Amino acid sequence: MYTSITNRRSFIKKMALASAMTAAATMFPGIIFADEQEKNIPKDADLDWKKGPCRFCGVGCGILVGVENGKAVAVKGDPSSSVNKGLLCVKGYHQIMCIASKDRLTHALVKKNGSYVKTPINDALDLVASKMKQTIKNHGKDSVAMYTSGQSTIPEGYVASKFMKGAIGTNNLDCNARLCMASAVAGFLTTFGADEPMGCYEDIDSADYFITWGNNMAEMHPVLFSRMLEQKNRRDAKIIDFATRTTRSSTASNKSILFEPQTDLAVANAICYEIVNNGWVNTSFVEEHCNFNKGLTKMGYGLEDNYKFKDKPSKISFEEYKEFLEDYTPEKVSKYSKVSVKDIKYLAAIYGDPNKKVVSYWCMGMNQHTRGTWMNNLVYNIHLLTGKISQPGNGPFSLTGQPSACGTAREVGTFTHKLPKGVVTNEKHRRKAAKIWKVPYERIPSKPTYHATEMFRAVDRGDIKFIWTQVTNPLVSLPKTSRYKPGMQKESCFVVVSDVFPTPTSDVADVILPATWHIEKSGLYGNSERRTQHWDKMVEGPGETTDDAWMTIEVAKRMGYGDLFPYSKENHVEEIYNEYRQFHVGKKHNMAPLEVLKSQAGAIWPYVEGKSTQWRFNAAYDPACDNGKDFHFYGKPDGKAVIWQRPYEPAAESPDDEYPFWLNTGRVIEHWHTGSMTRRIPVLHKAVPHSYVELHPEDAKKMKIKNGEKVKVVSRRGSCILPASVNERGLPTIGQVFVPFFDENMMINDVTLDAFCPISKEPDYKKCAVKIIKA
Amino acid sequence: MPVKSYLAYPLKGAKKALHDAIAKIDYCEVVAAENKDLLIVITDTKTQLEDENTKQQIETISNLKLLTLVSGFNTPKN
Amino acid sequence: MKKRLGIIFLFALLFGAFITIWNKSYHQGLEEAYIPIKKDNIINELPSESKVFTRSKHALNYAEMPVDAKYQRSLITYYNNRAYPGAPPSIPHEILQDGIVGGNSCLKCHENGGFVIKYNAYTPVTPHPEMTNCRQCHVESRTKTLFKGNSFYKKTPPKVGINNALLGSPPMIPHALQMRENCLSCHAGSSAPKEIRVSHPERVNCRQCHVPKDKEIKDLDLFTRAN
Repeated sequence: MYTSITNRRSFIKKMALASAMTAAATMFPGIIFADEQEKNIPKDADLDWKKGPCRFCGVGCGILVGVENGKAVAVKGDPSSSVNKGLLCVKGYHQIMCIASKDRLTHALVKKNGSYVKTPINDALDLVASKMKQTIKNHGKDSVAMYTSGQSTIPEGYVASKFMKGAIGTNNLDCNARLCMASAVAGFLTTFGADEPMGCYEDIDSADYFITWGNNMAEMHPVLFSRMLEQKNRRDAKIIDFATRTTRSSTASNKSILFEPQTDLAVANAICYEIVNNGWVNTSFVEEHCNFNKGLTKMGYGLEDNYKFKDKPSKISFEEYKEFLEDYTPEKVSKYSKVSVKDIKYLAAIYGDPNKKVVSYWCMGMNQHTRGTWMNNLVYNIHLLTGKISQPGNGPFSLTGQPSACGTAREVGTFTHKLPKGVVTNEKHRRKAAKIWKVPYERIPSKPTYHATEMFRAVDRGDIKFIWTQVTNPLVSLPKTSRYKPGMQKESCFVVVSDVFPTPTSDVADVILPATWHIEKSGLYGNSERRTQHWDKMVEGPGETTDDAWMTIEVAKRMGYGDLFPYSKENHVEEIYNEYRQFHVGKKHNMAPLEVLKSQAGAIWPYVEGKSTQWRFNAAYDPACDNGKDFHFYGKPDGKAVIWQRPYEPAAESPDDEYPFWLNTGRVIEHWHTGSMTRRIPVLHKAVPHSYVELHPEDAKKMKIKNGEKVKVVSRRGSCILPASVNERGLPTIGQVFVPFFDENMMINDVTLDAFCPISKEPDYKKCAVKIIKA
Repeated sequence: MPVKSYLAYPLKGAKKALHDAIAKIDYCEVVAAENKDLLIVITDTKTQLEDENTKQQIETISNLKLLTLVSGFNTPKN
Repeated sequence: MKKRLGIIFLFALLFGAFITIWNKSYHQGLEEAYIPIKKDNIINELPSESKVFTRSKHALNYAEMPVDAKYQRSLITYYNNRAYPGAPPSIPHEILQDGIVGGNSCLKCHENGGFVIKYNAYTPVTPHPEMTNCRQCHVESRTKTLFKGNSFYKKTPPKVGINNALLGSPPMIPHALQMRENCLSCHAGSSAPKEIRVSHPERVNCRQCHVPKDKEIKDLDLFTRAN
């Protein structure tokens, strides 16, 4: 009767445990023991939890997906991820529900006589390859183009780059990260000569002040915002929201400062003026580590086709810079920025106080800006002048929108001018790429071709005769879709769309290729803090769905480039990543090996001697610093960062008598970009079923518009009818309206303007002039 | 064959260290509270002597602030 | 003669000074009577959703607040005090002074809560302390009998534990939010009904994870494509 004795003993042990728990509970009400919590988990929770990064947004939270009988059934935050420590947002928790959508693209569809015919995937890929080959033969290499995404995985971006630049030999490759991160990239390159933030999320744990520049983090980077709120409550850290609209972030912050659109340029200069004229400059830091430059001004806005611009930087002295700042006294700036002199001085005093640690955060407000590169430069100026950079709790931090805008678009380089390492205009960089790709180096063209907006203009003009889009929905996300949609519908261009769900972009496709979703494939993403994360395939995709990387490889093989893509179907993700790592070898950008990425929730590059580098350019943390000083901005040849003289210039289009309102567009927490995924998640759709236009109550009153009433937003380019939202989620200033852009049934991008930053070529979705009519 | 349960209070910030130290001792099982600085220790020993030794062993751990007995059971040998 | 002239001059001077001063003070008097018209200050409104953060400064205190199991409310008593889910609760206790409402009376207890020996209970906290005409909506119940019988159908209140879409995912909000956007007032603290007391009040930004389920909209279908 041995078993009964052990049973009895275990019973007694349980009794002992239970009595101890009761005793503990009387002393500490609310105490939780792991055993007690587990007992509440339903019996059917016998799940296999698989690790990966979240599919939505650039924060890069670690998720665990519960899989049962080959189906994904639950999601929880990964407690071992230092990014989110077990917490997610509502999109993250429900992300897996979209793959069960009934209108999932499960098979290839080929347009024949105006209707789509279900086609075996191999036949569809044959058609794509032959069409591409034919087009190149008839019209040259530069008549075909590929448009990918900041949501493509690292291997997907890498094979796209190798295919277009290495195999075919055209620079007609760009991605939707041009619409969200290009200004951040140009800002980093012009100031530091090296892309991506120097700090990391651990800055949140030691900063005294968080200053957010035109950034509604409570909705767009909610998990990071939670970490900030936690510091606000526990340590009394302060959040200051500097924005054009009152949002959830504004109301949760300690202070909300509103400014007139576009005047952030002037306010940033006014802060520098205060820093310089109050003696708050960290002189030793600036002398050791900074140069002063100015560039060209009055650059225009890129509104005309084939617009070209090249900046001409020239060195200036500190005295010249100081003289330039005379135009930006708080008193002068206050007049047109509508920010009070007191508030400007308040912001400057925070940055200027050497005893306060400050992190600046920004995302689309500063990047989607016709002077986005300048704006990025200006915030770096503030941090460089005060020497508050690259230290725990001190630094500028450019947040990313998409889960792999950093990992894929920026690091792999799926832009027209980029290579996995360096740029196409640099011969050394081309030689390096050619060597690793095993192609003749002459094949990689030295001149960049089309950036995103210009690429779709070229489609409209008929210059591009074949375009393949992957993991993106340009006909909802491009500005001024009123031009680009009819452009893509033209017979002159053959359109291939790879996607998971039907979208307005796939509606104009000649061939639709069915892609697998996130957890149905293996892959790697890179988040805002330079963290590379790997995941293994968790569930099978339905029907003939195929990984995007593999579809690119299959087409390349069919076009005769098989020898350049010798990867196996089962293991191509790992093979590609190992090949790609060769590009970044060295202390400045070494990527963590796969075994490391598989064993933990990601690693931050430069990954040197088994360690992530959390603060770059700071000799105490970054082994790549080798100038013997405390800081080394090694991206620039002389090791010095640049403080740029960048003036205020007006927006491309400002409100006038005919079109009296600013139109600002953006997102809501429930929906991800164009909504093709999140609108298919019932929880999220029920919470925000359609788009709306936010008006200030005063404006609504003046025009007699009630909440929920339909209004027409009209610009010089197009119009859009939406229900009004008065004093609900957000509150634009008087004379401004705000519209979330996720809704393909209410296309606000028909109304927006395709003006862009001449340096970064990133469009400005935040500023154009509209009028409001009761519909 | 005594089975006893204790509440163990760690010194400030030493919950994890105490947990690991107790877990190493024979005949001991530890359950840590998730949100408070408190551990439950259950000892399951064969003889009275072993039981006393175990208790002494726990009490010598430097990170322990206080150990209180909650309940004790004894089962006959057969 | 010189003396007389001097005196006349002096008086003339005094008279002149008097006229000037009187004139000045008369005009000042007129000015005082004028009240400059101030331009309407535009009220700096806040979006209604901002209330989710209203009690956030107490979030850490909430997290540390002990659970007083003996006196906690339950959802049954919570909904019994309402005519239907979402209706304003009636006042279950007698009122100190019938004439006084709002800030001077109700809010003394209902703004921040606390234990009241007289009623042996923790005071529920109002989610909308800015609305001080309390008894516009909240009334006493002075009798248990009815004037005439009534067959009003009281909708079953939303249930707890069934509002999550996936195993372990954060539950959605099963009730309307108008005037109840201040989550922590009902979901945290000693007066929170035990079934809906949140385990993590320190998270503050509630609607990061919990989104409304029954938003009052015409179209509750799944997302449909236009073409």
